[in-house]
Amino acid sequence: MTRKTLRTLPLHLVLLVVGTVMVVPLVYAALSGFKSTDELSRNPFGLPDRWLTGNYTDILGSGDFWRLLGNSTLIAVATTVLVVAVSALAAFSFARFAFRGRETLFTLFTLGLMFPFAVAALPLFLLLRSMDLLDNPLGVILPQAAYGLPMTIIILRGFFRQIPGELEEAATLDGCSPFGFFWRILLPMARPALGTVSVLAVVTSWNNFFLPLLVFTDGTWWTLPIGVQQFQGQYSAEYARVFAYLVLAMVPALAFYSVAERQLVGGLTAGATKG
Amino acid sequence: MGDPALSRRGFLAVSAAAGLGMTALSGCGGDSDGGSSGTTTIEWWNISTTQPTKDVWAGLAKKFEAQNPKVKIKIVQLENDAYKSKMTALTASGKLPDIFHTWGGGVLKQQVDAGLVEDLTDSTKAWADGLLPVAKQPYLIDDKTYGIPFDIGMIGFWYNKALFKQAGVSAPPTTWSGFLDAVRRLKSAGVTPLALAGKEKWPGMYYWAYLAMRTAGVDALRKAADDKDFTGAGFVQAGGHLKELVDLQPFQKGFLGAAYSTPTGQAATVGNGKAAMELMGQWAPVVEADAGKGLGADLGFFPFPAVEGGQGSITEVFGGGGGHALRKGAPQAAVDFLKFFASQATDQELVKKTGVLPVVPAAESSLTDPNLTAVQAQLKAATGFQLYLDQAYAPAVGQEINDSVAALIAGSKSPEQVTQSVTKTAKEEQ
Amino acid sequence: MLFIGLVLLPMLFALYAAFFRWGGFGMPSDYAGADNFTRLFQDPVFLGDLWRCLLLVVLSLLIQLPFALAMAVLLNQRLRGRAVYRMLFFAPYVLSEAITGVLFSMVFAPDDGLADHVLGAVGLDGLGGEWFADPSWVLATLFLVMTWKYFGFHMMLYLAGLQAVPAELTEAALIDGAGPWQRFRNVTLPLLAPTLRISVFLSVIGAIQLFDLVWVVTQGGPDHHSETMAVTMFQYGFKRYQVGYASAISVVMFGICLVFALAYQRFVLRRDLEGATTTMRGNGK
Repeated sequence: MTRKTLRTLPLHLVLLVVGTVMVVPLVYAALSGFKSTDELSRNPFGLPDRWLTGNYTDILGSGDFWRLLGNSTLIAVATTVLVVAVSALAAFSFARFAFRGRETLFTLFTLGLMFPFAVAALPLFLLLRSMDLLDNPLGVILPQAAYGLPMTIIILRGFFRQIPGELEEAATLDGCSPFGFFWRILLPMARPALGTVSVLAVVTSWNNFFLPLLVFTDGTWWTLPIGVQQFQGQYSAEYARVFAYLVLAMVPALAFYSVAERQLVGGLTAGATKG
Repeated sequence: MGDPALSRRGFLAVSAAAGLGMTALSGCGGDSDGGSSGTTTIEWWNISTTQPTKDVWAGLAKKFEAQNPKVKIKIVQLENDAYKSKMTALTASGKLPDIFHTWGGGVLKQQVDAGLVEDLTDSTKAWADGLLPVAKQPYLIDDKTYGIPFDIGMIGFWYNKALFKQAGVSAPPTTWSGFLDAVRRLKSAGVTPLALAGKEKWPGMYYWAYLAMRTAGVDALRKAADDKDFTGAGFVQAGGHLKELVDLQPFQKGFLGAAYSTPTGQAATVGNGKAAMELMGQWAPVVEADAGKGLGADLGFFPFPAVEGGQGSITEVFGGGGGHALRKGAPQAAVDFLKFFASQATDQELVKKTGVLPVVPAAESSLTDPNLTAVQAQLKAATGFQLYLDQAYAPAVGQEINDSVAALIAGSKSPEQVTQSVTKTAKEEQ
Repeated sequence: MLFIGLVLLPMLFALYAAFFRWGGFGMPSDYAGADNFTRLFQDPVFLGDLWRCLLLVVLSLLIQLPFALAMAVLLNQRLRGRAVYRMLFFAPYVLSEAITGVLFSMVFAPDDGLADHVLGAVGLDGLGGEWFADPSWVLATLFLVMTWKYFGFHMMLYLAGLQAVPAELTEAALIDGAGPWQRFRNVTLPLLAPTLRISVFLSVIGAIQLFDLVWVVTQGGPDHHSETMAVTMFQYGFKRYQVGYASAISVVMFGICLVFALAYQRFVLRRDLEGATTTMRGNGK
């Protein structure tokens, strides 16, 4: 035991250093939220002289924050469900069927990966407008899902391919239709991969700033990143408040991730031991 | 390229038609003439996301609704940068909000040329004639009124009297050589002479613009835009003078990455007494006190000095304000609201509570702050007016000036190159 | 359908608009031929964008990805607290660029920032500088932030890949007397290759399209020294109303991505595509 600890000591040291670098900015932000802006310029790094909770409670006490949170959640969940469902089916066909023009079509999808969203913003805006999707959550959900497809399909396709063909043949012998195989065998097996892409989809949607800004005129549908910018504009000089808002805006993402991460890793290790 | 003006108009006419056609086709968003009950809802887009303005404006909207029971006002407030991005997309789509914030100048002109903005000349004449003339300037396009101001101001030097005293500078300089002298003295006294938000570019542009006004003159700036030629000797000289200043290294440490209103930005640097001056608009005292501690009685204002041998004089001002414009075909209630917003009672409230300068002459009595009174006096006595360059000119030209001047300050462009880049952009803009 | 409508359509429109002098009002009508493109390749800012992009790609491949791989290998061992570290390293990835940007502009504020204070505390104040405000350091600082934010993502990809490496193989190699480096070099790395190839691909594409972070932190400054293609494009499209020119930039960006992707697929990814499919007989699409 002690020998092992000794051997792994340098590794632990490396991890500790890297970990510190990773965590310091976050702790710094969280602590800053407990200070007054005055103190922030006087004492940027130490613990707060007095722990002020006002910055945090003020934000939590206003309904605005919760509404933004709800919007962000709704849009993220809807986007994720849509993108994962469509991608899983598409990736399944790309991975398991040989059909004419498959590679061309697949390349077409990978093209989407190379097209930055900012470029398409103007034409997309005009398009959404003519479809009457402005100020409508669908106006954000649909494009987000569309832009999320390429990445998700690429990851899922790779995963579906690793599943041995014999499994599929066995399933077919047992009387499974292709869709039945997909639904009852492939999807459950792909849970870790689905977990990964879901996390990615949620995160991307959660952090999207530009699209919701263009689509939502009305404050009722705004998401958290827009809230952050508005808040920063409103209190540009009160950094402590802005920090508190930043931290609060981070918390749901981090909390979600901490839950999802356990499932993700659980799925991965389960897959590994079974395989 | 025989007649660029003609081709531009033709192009815009076509695009305007296309824009309107698109609106007609999509036929959505018809919120302006509401339901069967006869009430009209008007959308009012502004950038007043900060307090106390946010609440004051909301209160004014309520007051207007009370006076006009058949009108509902829907306020949409966006942070400055978000507003600009969003307006770009909206302009492209061919439909603007009923009432929207505007700075006038080149952006407004593009919207007007695209046929998206209501001509207010006749509908507002009766009451708009009484407004401060200099305040209305930015919204005049081809002698027609397209916007009504609620704020007007100018750029000048805001300085720390205590730091000036400490460096032995007895009175604010009135000439450029005197100014450079003051900078040298401040430096040798260990004081950072100037604060500048290099990251944001527009504060740097103020220096070049004022110097161009002082050397080449206001008319030359107007003519240069019309002729698409900024290579005149006066403009090169303006850049040369700015370079003289930059060579003294007068700015705070890290100014190239500094923002304007953040706690480490330009305003806070002056507000916390870490730099002696900044070249900024009438809002400077508010922001200095907000982002930093504020200077209180130590704060003073002086106009941009004259340049020896230049065409311009010290009484010509560089500035701008804020106003509202209406979309083409906005309901009458929107015009009524503009009238209400530019009334003496409203303006007095705005001046008292939100720190803007009066646009209604009778509201002047509400002005109490000595610094703002000094600014107001300058404005009233102005012998010439130039709108912020990044708003006066077409957006591409304005941005190029900001960009090139930033490069000059960073040392990567010469005064000649600035004028050449700007001219090139002006020519590319059809 | 969704994909075609919302991704390909706007893309084609941008391609179309790139051949016009278009201010973004109504429909493009002032045909400019290839003018926008010739102008583009004479624009020093854009040429600088290309150079900076290359620099970031090289830095990513030489520093960020190897670092991520090292951390992945480290965390694949049975170490106490590895779950915590794994989580911590990936955490920045879930934060939005806007938040990261604001955070680091405070951390790297000249004089007053966290970074300068830390350097001062360990007696290295000479190294403290202007970070984002210094034209010659801004890109390096930006890269530091990018690494902070994104290396965890690549690490996660590698970890997933490493988990898929059958333990029997490494054990077999161990029995054959292979040292840790040999085991890594001859067993793990080849098996990890598909993951590595994807990760490199994503990293390069990401560098080409880098926008949000730069926009929030520096807006491309000071004096264009951290500007990327996407930032230049945004400047023209949304600040200068030269949408035609902006579209030309995006087309070139897209072209670069495409050439890279095709070449990459042809020469590197091909192995991944071969023979991995099973055939199903008698099925419709």
